[in-house]
Amino acid sequence: MKRLTILTLFTLLAAVVCAAENGEEKQKKGRLTGSFETNSIYYVEDGRTTAVVPEDRFGSNNYLKLDYYHGRFAAGVQAEGYLPVLQGYPTNLTKAGLSNFYASWVDKSFSVTAGTFYDQFGSGLLFRSYEDRTLGMNSALLGARVTYNYKDILALKAIWGMPRLGMEFSNTQARGADLSFAISSLAGWKQTVLAVEGSVLNRYEAISADLKEEGGLPSSTGFSGRVNFESNGFILRAEYIDAGERHYPNGAYDGVNDPRIDLIKNGNAQLIELGYSGHGLGVNITARRLEYMDMPIVYRNTSTANALNYIPALTAQYSYLLTNLNPYIVQPSTILGSHCGPGEIGGQIDIYYNVARRTKLGGKRGMKLGLNYSTYYSLLKDRSAKADNILWQSINFTLEKQFTRKFKLNFLYSFQEYNDSHGVSPYTWKSNIFVADMLYKWTPTISTRLELQYLYSKHDNKDWMAALAEVNFAPHWSIFASDMYNHGKTKIHYYNAGVSYTKSRTRIQLSYGRNRAGVVCSGGVCRNIPAYTGANLMITTSF
Amino acid sequence: MQKIKFAILLALAVIPFMGQAQLPSVKVENRKGEVVNTASLVDGETPMIISFWAVTCKPCIRELDAINDAMPDWLDEASFRVVAISTDDSRFSAQARAWVEGHGWGDFTVLFDKNQEFMRAMNVSYTPQVFVVDKSGKVVYSHTGYTPGSEQELIDVIKSLK
Repeated sequence: MKRLTILTLFTLLAAVVCAAENGEEKQKKGRLTGSFETNSIYYVEDGRTTAVVPEDRFGSNNYLKLDYYHGRFAAGVQAEGYLPVLQGYPTNLTKAGLSNFYASWVDKSFSVTAGTFYDQFGSGLLFRSYEDRTLGMNSALLGARVTYNYKDILALKAIWGMPRLGMEFSNTQARGADLSFAISSLAGWKQTVLAVEGSVLNRYEAISADLKEEGGLPSSTGFSGRVNFESNGFILRAEYIDAGERHYPNGAYDGVNDPRIDLIKNGNAQLIELGYSGHGLGVNITARRLEYMDMPIVYRNTSTANALNYIPALTAQYSYLLTNLNPYIVQPSTILGSHCGPGEIGGQIDIYYNVARRTKLGGKRGMKLGLNYSTYYSLLKDRSAKADNILWQSINFTLEKQFTRKFKLNFLYSFQEYNDSHGVSPYTWKSNIFVADMLYKWTPTISTRLELQYLYSKHDNKDWMAALAEVNFAPHWSIFASDMYNHGKTKIHYYNAGVSYTKSRTRIQLSYGRNRAGVVCSGGVCRNIPAYTGANLMITTSF
Repeated sequence: MQKIKFAILLALAVIPFMGQAQLPSVKVENRKGEVVNTASLVDGETPMIISFWAVTCKPCIRELDAINDAMPDWLDEASFRVVAISTDDSRFSAQARAWVEGHGWGDFTVLFDKNQEFMRAMNVSYTPQVFVVDKSGKVVYSHTGYTPGSEQELIDVIKSLK
């Protein structure tokens, strides 16, 4: 198998070189494009934390993607190598090999794809296959997809395939269709967009005889209906999902009082988005209710990549060190021991305002203000919208102002309330976080950025402080150093320093630091990472 | 040994290419939610800056703000358009729409690539990534990452186009 993998890669390489050598004939023969990414860590022992050091002290995730385009035809492959996989990533990512491959034909009104592909219906609550390398997620379907468009009025899509889990394609089959009908296009409306959409998805898994006896369901079918409306800056989007029935292990099973080994539950969700954009003001309100919306690729598999749909946490996303200590983790259902929580209900509001230049408040260079509020509660019982315990609440205020040609300030205040038990108990941790992010340009190409952060809390590890300094020499070099210090309880410094070099589409970053155990989130989906200390080399390039 | 072979193969595979690509044809959404084919962005008259960004990507925002601030002066020197491709998935696409207004990016053409199909077709694996595409749709320059001041290269490239 190893030899086969190497041979395949050599063949691929030969094809690549041949195609690239044909220089001027490239236009006639099509073109080849691709990207390469490596993320490697050398782990070291660290007595101050619970740092995990693998046996050979090394971890490396590598991705090579190649695409060939010739007119309306396209084909591509992706090779991945985990040598071995980095700590904290799904452990079913092992060894090296060709992981994804496809061929497609895209015509004016239709397209056909065979092999692996990514797609989603609506917001992804019913179905989404996607790649997120930060999470080690790749749920590409191996199968076929056909799309058809009639002018800009009708869009139809049909899919069939087996979702990827780890380095293998599962035996689960996903088959579905999605239809979008633009009423406004049919009516010829110029200022208003109105579309109704619908999807259906069937998921089939040949489950074991034991699981069937316990009450497991091999097949389930889900539906979704959607409305999209936009007029003069106002937006309304609504989505209803009936995800069909699925089974969960019954935490209260005792064989006597509760003889059910598995619980059959109906998954459903409602999502509504309201927005307005205009006159420098952007407002967005989102509300969502989730009930048993887990959609595993394979039942009884605990991998974080085991999802056939996409259920992101709809809260503000933070990018500063101290704002991400306890990010909100969405609760499509919470079954912990005998506790059976059906899901969550909540929402968020975002307001962005661009204070114009040459106004009293905006001054010479204007100012940007932002406000976000989000709150989520666990659901009290099945088939209900009644809230139980609070899961999350946050208020965030941001201010961005260019004071002079050389100096710019970003300020953030964030209040976060986090339920560590995920709704099993009502107790929460509260924290207040302050961030000042300052950029000073010494010359048009040399600049310094300084982040100062403070977290005040009476809970968990109590107070933290953090600082980050970055010196940039545009367009190639950047040097940075940061420290995150928990002076409230553990007295541990989490330091990090590094350098990055960028040239055209290639970026190389080398860093060394101590990282705390916690949760890494991307797009609102999270995975746990263990603490580690070590040197990290990242290279990304595309061509 | 297996590791070394694999690493060498991957490294070798990337060396032969430094070719100039053409803008691929992929479907994305505009601010109204209507489907737009990326090939239709090429108008045969003006070059464009295409920037891949996300509301969660701070350097992306810094770069687009810098371009937005410099745009009035740059437009005195050359004619061009800025296309900002939001790679935010359904979690943030509604937020991104409000963000665009609140950041005063009214002069940009903002498109939404919710399942990152255009991003994959352009082989963007790290944001921010910015491209300069000439009036015929040929990618003539690209840069990944952002360091304050590197935006100057964009206008220099645009001015050098015939």
